[in-house]
Formats: sequence, C-alpha cells, structure tokens
Amino acid sequence: MNTKSPMTNDDTLVRIRGLRFMRGDRAIFDGMDIDIPRDKVTAIMGPSGTGKTTLLKLIGGQLRPDEGTIEVDGQDVHSLSTDALYKLRMRMGMLFQSGALLTDLSVFENVAFPLREHTALDESTLRTLVLLKLEAVGLRGARDLMPAELSGGMARRVALARAIALDPTMIMYDEPFAGQDPISMGVIVQLIRRLNDAARISSIVVSHDVRETTAIADLVYVISAGKVVESGSPEQLKRDGGEWTRQFLQGLPDGPVPFHFPAPSLANDLLGAEV
Amino acid sequence: MIDLLASLGRRGLDWFQAFGRAHLLLLAMFRGFIDIVHRPRLLIDQLNSVGVRTLLIIAVAGLFVGMVLSLQGYYILSRFGGESALGLMVAASLVRELGPVLAALLFAGRAGSALTAEIGLMKATEQLSGLEMMGVNPQYRVLAPRFLAGLISVPLLAAIFSTLGVFGGWMVGGAMLGVDEGAFWGGMQDGIDFSDDVINGVIKSMVFGFVCTWIATFQGYDCVPTSEGVSRATTRTVVYASLAVLGLDFVLTALMFG
Repeated sequence: MNTKSPMTNDDTLVRIRGLRFMRGDRAIFDGMDIDIPRDKVTAIMGPSGTGKTTLLKLIGGQLRPDEGTIEVDGQDVHSLSTDALYKLRMRMGMLFQSGALLTDLSVFENVAFPLREHTALDESTLRTLVLLKLEAVGLRGARDLMPAELSGGMARRVALARAIALDPTMIMYDEPFAGQDPISMGVIVQLIRRLNDAARISSIVVSHDVRETTAIADLVYVISAGKVVESGSPEQLKRDGGEWTRQFLQGLPDGPVPFHFPAPSLANDLLGAEV
Repeated sequence: MIDLLASLGRRGLDWFQAFGRAHLLLLAMFRGFIDIVHRPRLLIDQLNSVGVRTLLIIAVAGLFVGMVLSLQGYYILSRFGGESALGLMVAASLVRELGPVLAALLFAGRAGSALTAEIGLMKATEQLSGLEMMGVNPQYRVLAPRFLAGLISVPLLAAIFSTLGVFGGWMVGGAMLGVDEGAFWGGMQDGIDFSDDVINGVIKSMVFGFVCTWIATFQGYDCVPTSEGVSRATTRTVVYASLAVLGLDFVLTALMFG
C-alpha cells in the first residue's frame, strides 16, 4: 500500500504533480500527486465534497490550479494555447454527471454533434456510427427523442454514447452509475471495461458506487482533505487498506471518515452560544 | 469606515475584472466570425431566433408610436397652421431618434433577455462545459453567431420600426385627420436628408445593436450558474442595455447633430 503515485514512466497518460487548488480560503487539493496509467481503468474515490469532479475539470483544463502541473499525454494542460487545448480535448471524452446534453437537439443529433463538428464524414457513415454508439448504450430506439423526454439515467447513457463518438484516447466518467437501474448499471459497468480493453481507451472513473467501481478498476485512488489517502489495486486496498480506506470502501458508519461537515457542537448551536 | 472602503474597493475590482472579461469575450466572438463564414447555417438560425421573432413586437410598436406621434404633432402644429410639416416631424423623430432607440429598447427586452437566459441556462446545465470537453469552443459556436445576429438584426428592426411608424403617422395624419397628402409626403422628402438623418439613424442602431447584444451574451456567459444567477443576469441585461442605449443616444446625438 502506498500514498505515492505508483506510475512514473511512459505508461502514464495523466501526470499530476503538486496540485493545489483553492475555493475561497478552502484548499480542495493541497499538494496532490496522481498518475493515471494508459489503457487502464483508474478510479478516483472519496467522500462527497472532496473535489473529485473538480479534479476532472482540472484535468480537462476547465479550471486552473493555483499551483502544480497537470500533464495529459506529455502536454502541460494549463500552459497550452486555447486552440491547442481544444485540440487536446478532442482526444478526451467526458461524461458529465448531469449528462450535459444539448437540449435543442435530438438524441441522434447529440451523438452526431462531435462527429459533425470535427469530421467530414458523409451522412450515411455518420448515421451508421451514431446508431452503433447508441446501440452500445441500448438507446438506438430512442434516437428521435429529445433530451427532455429522457430519464436521468437514459440521458447519461446518451452522453456516454456522445463521449465515445470520436473514439477518444481517454474518457473521464463523472458518477457514471448514479441513477441507473440495475440492468443499465451492469451494462455500463461492462461497457466501460469493454471500451477500455477493446478500444484501448484509458478511463478515469469518479464514483461513489464502491462495488461497481472496484469491480472494473485496475487502480484506485482514495482521496480526502486534498490529498491521496491511499492508492493501489482494489484487491490491495480491500486487503491492506488502512482504517480510513476500509471504512469508506465498506460504508461503515463509525471510523475516521467524518460524516458531518466541520461545525461547532450541536449544543452550542441549539443554545445560540457564540463559538 | 475601513470596512466601507474595503467593500468599495472590492466592488471596484470586481467591476474592472468583469469589464476585462467582457472585452476578452468580445475578442473571442470576433474571432468566432471566421467560423461563421464557413458555416452560415449557424448565423441563419440565430437571425431567425433573435431577429425574426422580435419582428412582431417591433412592427406593432412602430405602428402605434407613429400613430401617437402624428396625433400629438397634429394637435400642436394645427395651432400654428403648420399641419403640412406633420410628415417631416413624424419622419425626422422616427428616423433620427425614436426608431433606433425604441427598437433597441424593445430588442433588449425581448431578444436580449432571451439570449442571456438561454446562454445562462446552457451554462447552468453544463451544456457549455460539455461543448468545451468535446473540443468545441462555445464562444465561437454558441456566442459568436448570436452576437453577429444581434448586430445585423437591430439596424434592420430599427428600419422596419421607422418605416411602419411613418406609415402609422400617415394613417392618422393623412387618412384620418385630413392633412394634405402631398404636403405630408413632400415635406418629408424635402426635409429628410439621407446622409444626415437616415445614415446617422442607421449608425445609431448599429451601435445600439452592438452594445445590447454584447451585454446580453456576456451576462449569460458570465452569470452564476444557478436559477437565481440566471434570473439576476437576465434582469441585468435589460437594465444595463436600456441605460446604455439611452446614454449612448445622448452622446451620439450630440456628436452627429450638435
């Protein structure tokens, strides 16, 4: 078990060093180092509010760190020009927690959108590709629906089809299992693994769903209080993880992971006493 | 006292930062015009959304403003036997001032607020972030076509406003109140100078279109991505755009006709 990054050679697709990111006076990340290996499924796990989604936005260059560097495929994301950053993003897929579908376009057009923007495919090839992507997420039959007609889980599956439309080098999944019924959940778990193995798409999965995530992850980073608490394979963490990691992975109510946001004592608050 | 000064300073810094962001966005939108040349469909859709859908309110307002102007003008001019100048008065008022100003105010209320709300909601629902992560710059793809559509639409809407205003003025003055039609149209033809009046009016409406659409797109893009944030941004668009139009109208009038 270690608290340092296990990958330091060319197998590293994303290299994060000394990451510091503040929201107001609160440090979300405070000197964090992470290495995301190529062609693997890497899970980022941790309690709510630890900045997992923020980390994905930092990797995608949508937020700037206060200190530290993030390299994707050898390129320092935050020193790229705007055009170079957008080129790099074409090789990154991202599945947003909300789906982030374009509400004025149908399901088909949403999946076709990145293809229309970045390729010069003829309409028949484009149609074939879009239908294959939708078939992969089980929503080929929903191609004419509008996003407002989809459930939250369906919207995320459409977003997943869109994220893989350009066959990116890596995909960042932000809570891909949230709101999915058991069947869809199983299909998506398999799909992430299959995309990773067959299409060699490196995957970064941010999720609270311990069972599903550890079932497909090759490497897990557990983060809290702005730092990596532990990292390793799911088996390693389950076997040798410290008290903190064990509590989180097993969902135990008692342990070092605080359930409450920092606050004065309940008695003081109820009695209106000054802190 | 120190707290008050600190608060004022903070607000001042926030304002200057927002001003800087607005100018960076403006530069990005100009850069986005290049993409529109290759994909005119983006602009056509927005011309429909921003311009065509504002046409009805502009047409109706123009017609009624012209009618009221003619009615009031007739009451005053008839006291001095000057009814023959009614056409000139209606046309000059509309082409020089009321057309560009009222069309811009109506545009800010109808299309500007809609632009801000649409862009703000796209931000709140992560659609703009989604575009960024697909390698599509929303400043070029979403904002630039809307901005250019506003630039093109407002002068055209102002021209339609003025035209229908003149028609409304004729309906009341010529058809209802019996002002001599030859005097009505002849006075207008003699008194209105194409470069001094019409072109200056068009320049005014171009400036107003630029400012209104810039404010609307920036407020949407820079809003706090919550329902309250979008609501406040929409209100700010209407207030700032209206005040900017009225203030700029004074400046432009002083420069053009002073």
